[in-house]
Amino acid sequence: MNDQVGGNPKRARFQALCQSLRPDLLRFAFWLSRDLALAEDVVQETMLRAWKAQDSLLNEAAAKPWFLTIIRREYARSFERKRLATVDVDELIAREEPMLAAAQDQDLAELRAALFKLPEEYREPLVLQVLMGYSTAEIAAELELSNAAVLTRLFRGRKQLRTMCGEDTRLDPEE
Amino acid sequence: MNCTEYRRSILADPRDANPGLRLHRDACDDCSGYTERLLRFESRLERALRVNAPADADARVVPLRARTARTSNRALRMRRGWLAMAASVLIIVVVAGSLWLAAPHPSLAADVVAHMAGEPQAWARTDVPVPPSELAQVLRDSRMRLNPDAGMVSYARSCPFRGHQVPHLVVQTEMGPVTVMVLVHESVGKPVPFDEEGYRGVILPVAGHGSLAVLARGHTADLNAVTHIAARVQGAIVWTG
Repeated sequence: MNDQVGGNPKRARFQALCQSLRPDLLRFAFWLSRDLALAEDVVQETMLRAWKAQDSLLNEAAAKPWFLTIIRREYARSFERKRLATVDVDELIAREEPMLAAAQDQDLAELRAALFKLPEEYREPLVLQVLMGYSTAEIAAELELSNAAVLTRLFRGRKQLRTMCGEDTRLDPEE
Repeated sequence: MNCTEYRRSILADPRDANPGLRLHRDACDDCSGYTERLLRFESRLERALRVNAPADADARVVPLRARTARTSNRALRMRRGWLAMAASVLIIVVVAGSLWLAAPHPSLAADVVAHMAGEPQAWARTDVPVPPSELAQVLRDSRMRLNPDAGMVSYARSCPFRGHQVPHLVVQTEMGPVTVMVLVHESVGKPVPFDEEGYRGVILPVAGHGSLAVLARGHTADLNAVTHIAARVQGAIVWTG
């Protein structure tokens, strides 16, 4: 990202912030949408909106959750605008194969494919917890759910994922 | 707390540090083993989620980019498709040629081997593990933890390497002491075996976390065994950030 900040420190700082966060934001948007092109659009639009609303970001340490909230809204907007058709997950997996492939690790590629098949209501809290390091309370606040509902989704999500990946689930508790 | 409650809790949050959970785990062998297996799965899950995010040279924020030029990335991508395809072919030829000519991996291996010369005492055979707090401190800067599956760690230092502080560990294994260097800032595209200056080892790619160098002393060291140990250590790493 070549920066032509022209000596504007505020802009330069914001640009640097976006650059540092972009990989994680893109990963989050990718797992949300399961579509790299859409994820890139959403992240780009998120940065535009964030730039315009940057005065509302009082603490740069809180930038990541702030961006993630904007990404979720932006993704929802793109969903409304395009009225995305129901998609075949296997087609999605084939289309995003370059992102899902894991050199030297077929297990990882299979796990990624399983994540694609996981319903969004389970996938999203899992991504927030495992990838973004959110606590249960933070996930609950972001998704506007109770703590108990978040824990249930995380439990079901992991259980389904383990089953899809052929893990030994004999000791997993029932619902 | 019974086993069902415990497993239900850690399936929802395997990193939950609730003291009640720890008490149950310490007292229940089944749940302790279950937790270890779950944490291994969790480590794989984290690596699976950490897909490589492609860099985007066009990624800018307003007003660096004119509002009128806010055509969607998708449309731009289609328009530039043919040009990109032609450029890709050229890039592949240039990159492949450059990689072949530059052959950077042996130099990384050479640097790892060179680093060994500075800490010969690390190679001692011993059954004394490094204190857990000391190990945790060394690994913390690389945002990782190490499960006991890796084997007994007898040496742990944070060492300068190519401009970064990296964990330098020695693990006591069935083939004797084996050195592990966690190189989060050094990437390799595929496993790179090496045999240099009396050391044999392998550098493994670690998706999203650079690479892992694992080596044993002696030209007679079994490279297959080293590679097996390297995979075991890699599987025992839990990335925390």
